[in-house]
Amino acid sequence: MCKLARKYERVIPFHCLLMALLFVGQQLTELYIAPTVLSAVERHVPLPRLFLTIGGFTLLLLLLRTVSTYLNGFIGYHRITLRMFIAGLLNRKGCDTSYVNRFDKKYMDLKQNAGSYVGSNSGAAEAIWNTLTVFLQYLLGIAAYAAILASVSLPILLVIVATALVSFFTNRYLNAYEYRHREELAAIERKLWYVQGAASGDAAKDIRIFGLGNWLEELYQNALSAFRAFKIKSQKVYLLANVINLLLTFFRNGFAYAYLIHGVLEGGLSASEFLLYFNTVGSATWWITDILNTAGYLRTQSLGISTIREALEYPEPFKFEDGRPLTHAEGQTYELKLENVSFRYPGTDRDVLKNISLDFRPGEKLAVVGLNGAGKTTLVKVMTGLLDPTEGRVTLNGVDIRDYDRRDYYKLFSAVFQHFSLLPASVAENVAQDNEKIDEERVKDCLGKAGLSEKIASLPEGIHAKLNRHVYEDATALSGGETQRLMLARALYKDAPFLMLDEPTAALDPIAESEIYESYNEMTAGKSAVFISHRLASTRFCNRILLLQEGVIAEEGSHRELMAKGGIYADLFAIQSKYYREEDSHEQQA
Amino acid sequence: MNNKHDSVSAKEALKLNLRAIRTIYATRKKVLALRLTKFAFAALTPYVGIRLSALLLDELAGARDPKVLTALVLWIIGSAAGITLIQSLLDRWHDGEQAGMYIHIDHIMSGKMASMDYADVEDTETYKLLSVINQSRQGGGWGLHHVTHNLNNLWSSLFSLGGGVALTVTLFTTPVPEGSGLAFLNSPWVTAGVILLFIAVSLAVPAMTAVCDRQRAKVVTRHNLSNRLFSYYGRYGDREETAVDARIYDLGRFCDKYNFDKTNLFSSKGYFAKLNRGKLGFLSTLSAAASVLFTGLVYLYVCVKGWSGAFGVGAVTQYVGAVTMLFAGSFRNILSELSDMKNNAYFLKLVFRFLDIPNRMYQGSLTVEKRRDRDYEIEFKNVSFKYPGADTYALKNVSLKFKVGQRLAVVGRNGSGKTTFIKLLCRLYDPTEGEILLNGIDIRKYDYKDYMGVFSVVFQDFRLFSLPVGENVAGKVDYHRALAESCIRDSGLGDRLDSLEQGLDTFLGKDYETGGIDLSGGEKQKLALARALYKNAPFIILDEPTAALDPVAEAEVYQSFDKIVGDKTAIYISHRLSSCRFCDVVAVFDGGALVQMGSHDDLVADENGQYHKLWHAQAQYYAEEQV
Repeated sequence: MCKLARKYERVIPFHCLLMALLFVGQQLTELYIAPTVLSAVERHVPLPRLFLTIGGFTLLLLLLRTVSTYLNGFIGYHRITLRMFIAGLLNRKGCDTSYVNRFDKKYMDLKQNAGSYVGSNSGAAEAIWNTLTVFLQYLLGIAAYAAILASVSLPILLVIVATALVSFFTNRYLNAYEYRHREELAAIERKLWYVQGAASGDAAKDIRIFGLGNWLEELYQNALSAFRAFKIKSQKVYLLANVINLLLTFFRNGFAYAYLIHGVLEGGLSASEFLLYFNTVGSATWWITDILNTAGYLRTQSLGISTIREALEYPEPFKFEDGRPLTHAEGQTYELKLENVSFRYPGTDRDVLKNISLDFRPGEKLAVVGLNGAGKTTLVKVMTGLLDPTEGRVTLNGVDIRDYDRRDYYKLFSAVFQHFSLLPASVAENVAQDNEKIDEERVKDCLGKAGLSEKIASLPEGIHAKLNRHVYEDATALSGGETQRLMLARALYKDAPFLMLDEPTAALDPIAESEIYESYNEMTAGKSAVFISHRLASTRFCNRILLLQEGVIAEEGSHRELMAKGGIYADLFAIQSKYYREEDSHEQQA
Repeated sequence: MNNKHDSVSAKEALKLNLRAIRTIYATRKKVLALRLTKFAFAALTPYVGIRLSALLLDELAGARDPKVLTALVLWIIGSAAGITLIQSLLDRWHDGEQAGMYIHIDHIMSGKMASMDYADVEDTETYKLLSVINQSRQGGGWGLHHVTHNLNNLWSSLFSLGGGVALTVTLFTTPVPEGSGLAFLNSPWVTAGVILLFIAVSLAVPAMTAVCDRQRAKVVTRHNLSNRLFSYYGRYGDREETAVDARIYDLGRFCDKYNFDKTNLFSSKGYFAKLNRGKLGFLSTLSAAASVLFTGLVYLYVCVKGWSGAFGVGAVTQYVGAVTMLFAGSFRNILSELSDMKNNAYFLKLVFRFLDIPNRMYQGSLTVEKRRDRDYEIEFKNVSFKYPGADTYALKNVSLKFKVGQRLAVVGRNGSGKTTFIKLLCRLYDPTEGEILLNGIDIRKYDYKDYMGVFSVVFQDFRLFSLPVGENVAGKVDYHRALAESCIRDSGLGDRLDSLEQGLDTFLGKDYETGGIDLSGGEKQKLALARALYKNAPFIILDEPTAALDPVAEAEVYQSFDKIVGDKTAIYISHRLSSCRFCDVVAVFDGGALVQMGSHDDLVADENGQYHKLWHAQAQYYAEEQV
């Protein structure tokens, strides 16, 4: 953490030390000001001297306070910057880590925890600097107070330490009530927040049509009662903690008063010295209790920092910089081969792909069909190098793809997958997937090919219009179909030798769908392409159709071949085309 | 933004704040009473300690009578213990009562959302208003929640002010003995001057703070945007739905530009840091200096009076303590709370603008006959509709009629008005022009809830809740279990239900109960259908009900469609025109108008019609094989 700070925001540790010194300076000044001035009044020193004393203290305090206020104004931003930098590193790890790590529970837990430590100002990655400052303050302050007290009385010092310790441990035990019952509380709160928000937002239509308001309100009231019952129970425990504290304070102050008053009566302490020592007792107790708490936070936050580091350094099963470099040369063709590939998601006991062999020839158009859960998407993920086979291997022009730098390998693929993502950025940035260098002409060309020219032309800002309304309030809203076209434009812009399309027309109307089919050959010219679709009509454009069933290639061939075979494909085709075919025969009769 | 700020007058601000208090505590009066008691007590009791300590110091500096000293010490520690005990009891009582107040305030907002007209829920004006409200709350804590802070602080400062004044009056009234050479301090003019000086210096602090606050409020929108960008790009790599994109399109690089930029709003070279190094830093430093200066002045005045013999050292500590609490504490707090409340009034105005959105939909009182024979007829008469704030018609002059028991297919291109048609039919919106009749009577004349009872809808973007399967189907906590089960079976989810250990009581998702199950898209669609069946309404509307299904599952839905729908009227919206084959009537929408209506056979025969185009766009791929 310190290393990162040195590299990226080197002033942070220095700020911590400075703030701690300034704070302790202020505390000591404030501690001494009343007794010193009082003593001057008591002794009736000449007026100019009284003025000088007050003036001196005021000046000192002025200096300390203004410097610390000024620093306080901006040191937080250095800490935020460092936290965001660490969040950025974690984000990079999340974006780039071997895709298979996403199925590794240990990594995902680490990642989620690490994320919570960089997510807000109170996360360990930022808050630790404040804790460190406070810890230093207490350390320095307690040393100073102990020195002051030890000079008058060791017994008082001992009583303070003893009461502070008792108070710390009993409080820690009692106040930990909620901590010990945190799972119970978390469950109650989760339910409460869920039902509170359930009625608003995107459920509005269903709530009105089905009259769900009363149901959700009833659940909300139940959850609220459970929450209050828990809080009332925990308040009882806190009351006990408070009573123990007030008893401790009672005895400690009683002892301090008795001891110090005895000192005044017998040992010649002045009233102002009495005040000084008594105030010291109060502050010292408080600080000792608190430094123990702070040490606790410091420990927890350090563990948080270790978690972040562990997440960042999590081992990569794929090769990246350590792999063979791979650059795509214009005109280079690729043959992708799957050799006896089986795949099973980590932590499961079922093969999603079973012993698949496939020779994907350069420029070939491949269709993958099958029922939900047949393994279509997984197959494409294995081909694109997102997942490595559990058994068998995938080769590119004869080389096992695991040997390559995986990021270079990804560069060979354009893809439209079922999940959409609109980046909160301009249309152009979304198409180019780049925010540094954008070829605007090409962006427009690709938007045109995907059938979006008209829509974009209708926007006042054109290709610079912002997208994603969750982030930019004035963003352009695109319909489902338009978003799907944008995803297509993005894949075209990348212009990679492989084009993978997973249900790219699900949200389109029949005419739009047909347009995409018609331009399919143009879009895929010179590329190898894989097309996944529920709509078997789309397979017509493909050289070869793979029918997946429960993880194996059950049938393979051209549309005509598979129809002639009269197998599963022909059945599926019959089911889907039934209504259209009847119509067709009907038309012929007519 | 600042101009709008200033437009709330002090009087209006007070009204808004009072109304906010009433709104928040209307149903929780006990919390309010406890809160006021608790804060008043907490504000007054510190003065007890100050006064008693002063007496003790005076005794130590003067007579030093052991008996008096013992009595005083016992008083001091005894009263401290007593006060803490009472305070803890009050805290406990109050904190227990007020648990959930925070979410109660949220619930006031979401309750409004649930009860307002659907047209307003979807209105972009409402969306904008609500997003400003939410953002100012997240960004600066402004709005309804803020009122409770103001109330606490203002209330306790008022009491603290009273206590402070009581302990301070004698500071100014006790004369300096004649002959000390400082008798001029006894002049009422000097006293008034000193009080004014105290007030002036202590005012400088909130004045400068206010300047800083205004400066920050100015950039609240940028502030929020910056936060949203961070929560998007700072966590992009965590998202499940974009994990593939991130790799194929190397988007980590895209995020870096946002995450590693030191000139971001919040970063060390960003706007806020610069502001705080410059103008704001200077102002807040100045305000800190004024506050120290004030302390110095108080010491000076009190000590000089004490030095001259007006009062003893104990009184000096009492006055220093009380004056500081009075001017630097309560007085200043009252002023800053008032100005804060005025700032917040602008946001409260927005909150009330939202809460006051009226329910404009005419609510009739006619009951919908629960006819045994389910003989209903729906008619659209010249219906046109514009979405609120839009310039163009989403639906233009639509007239159609259909009878109970019919199967109606609604088809058309994306954006042709199909979904709008459904929304008008279900009275989520009222037509801009024309009328919709149920059995010959304008639907606005029916009782709204009653009319809603006529329809079951599976929307394309239907919502299920992370609650038990059975409750999701029934929409109630206590429901007819056998009926819910049979609806689930009818919708084709019987096998899945049998596989669940807890059956109908199994939770969906993990938002509410961590042990919940995740259903696939197709399964969810079937469950939504089960919910529509449970309602057993005479009309059932299905919007793209097979979009998430594979061909076999789709065919199953088609085959069981008649059985599922039974004697109900069904309206079926789909991009897959094969579904038109089993509907009696097909309504074709294009560009907001109803362009064709008739049976599939008739429509497909019209070669110039839109339907012919749509049908062949899809059918050609299947038809070829037959040639």
